[in-house]
Amino acid sequence: MGEQRRVSLAPAYILHRRPYRDTSLLLECFTRDHGRVGLVARGARRARSRLPGTLQAFQPLSLSWQGRGDLATLVDAELAGTPARLAGTRLISGLYANELLVRTTRRQDPHPELFGHYTRLVTALALEAGAEGVLLRLFERDLLTSLGYGLPLGHDAGGAPVQPGIAYRYDPDTGFHPLAGGAAGRGIDGAVLLGLAAGETGAAGSRAARELMRAALAPHLGERPLYSRGLYRQQLRAADARGGPSDTGEDDSACQ
Amino acid sequence: MSFSPLVSELMDALRELPGVGPRSAQRMALHLLQRDRDAARRIAAAVTAAADRVGECEHCRILTEERVCALCASTRRDHGVLCIVENPADVYALEEATDYGGLYFVLKGQLSPLDGIGPEELGLDVLEGRFADGGVREIILATNPTVEGEATAHYLAEMAHGHGVNVSRIAHGVPLGGELEYVDAGTLSHAFAGRRRYD
Repeated sequence: MGEQRRVSLAPAYILHRRPYRDTSLLLECFTRDHGRVGLVARGARRARSRLPGTLQAFQPLSLSWQGRGDLATLVDAELAGTPARLAGTRLISGLYANELLVRTTRRQDPHPELFGHYTRLVTALALEAGAEGVLLRLFERDLLTSLGYGLPLGHDAGGAPVQPGIAYRYDPDTGFHPLAGGAAGRGIDGAVLLGLAAGETGAAGSRAARELMRAALAPHLGERPLYSRGLYRQQLRAADARGGPSDTGEDDSACQ
Repeated sequence: MSFSPLVSELMDALRELPGVGPRSAQRMALHLLQRDRDAARRIAAAVTAAADRVGECEHCRILTEERVCALCASTRRDHGVLCIVENPADVYALEEATDYGGLYFVLKGQLSPLDGIGPEELGLDVLEGRFADGGVREIILATNPTVEGEATAHYLAEMAHGHGVNVSRIAHGVPLGGELEYVDAGTLSHAFAGRRRYD
């Protein structure tokens, strides 16, 4: 399907790579202008290839490819910026973001603004700027917006502005419904919704925000669990065995 | 023209080997049948015996027909040090290149959420059991320098620290005899970040 085409120097990140045949790599890429793209890097696993060091996740790249259909052939790959190094749980948070993108976006469906959000997330994770939970919640918020399922954080299902101190119930189809009896008990405080909309650290890092985003993402993820989430939790448990509080300073996984 | 059923079957079977396409499969099959029947019988017997009897070592998961491989059974090696690698081929590479005197553990893969490979698939629960038993003093991480290899290394390190096991990792960087100019930027930045004191 489609005619033969050539794309030059497209801004991209690699979300995932796996060995293909004897000497090649199969790449799942997230590009700014072409959305998610599947590429074959022929000969990239040969001993003398310079590609494997470049074709790594979380590195800002310029990719050129040609071909038709679902799987095109990589022609060239260059680093487009400083290589990012993600370590420890931040690496797993990055893998989680990659898994989210693979599971929620379609191939050849461009989302330039989402590419921007992803770039900021990866940069912040690499620079250790900000708590992982906060960065991931804001990325999830922006991901949903890019997909066309943005949360109506500013107003309730009836159209009234969301107010702090009032508790809301979230319904994936209709939005936020105010609950009688104030913020006590179940429901999510209006302050958290407004904080999440404004990108405030306290609100975005809260457990309530995590549960809300989980509920909002669930319809787009299908039945299978997210593997990186389990990995994150197991990682924290492995670290906990050390005794004392885990060194992330969080009581639970930052991933959904 | 077409080959007889048995000859075609042989060619199909040979094509299961990595790097063997239809042309090479045909060449191999004709060679075995026309020139070297003894070699053909020997290959057949060796493949059958190995496929039936070779399993993996209970301790390190290396390929062996014994319950415990020769390395793990050796009394001359240090049983308190474990070098952790992704593939059996890595063990042979390290054995040839180094004078390492400890034991190995083969993961047979790396943690990769997008492939659905988690700690259980790599036998990390078995490994943690060995840490808990207290026989391991030190682990040497020799996973591949990929994102997934890094995630695996970090996981293993946390697990080892939890049991008071020392952790070290093989160095990553510029290949010996290489020239900086021709090293890719990712490798070079990694090597730079991991620079060491020079005494």
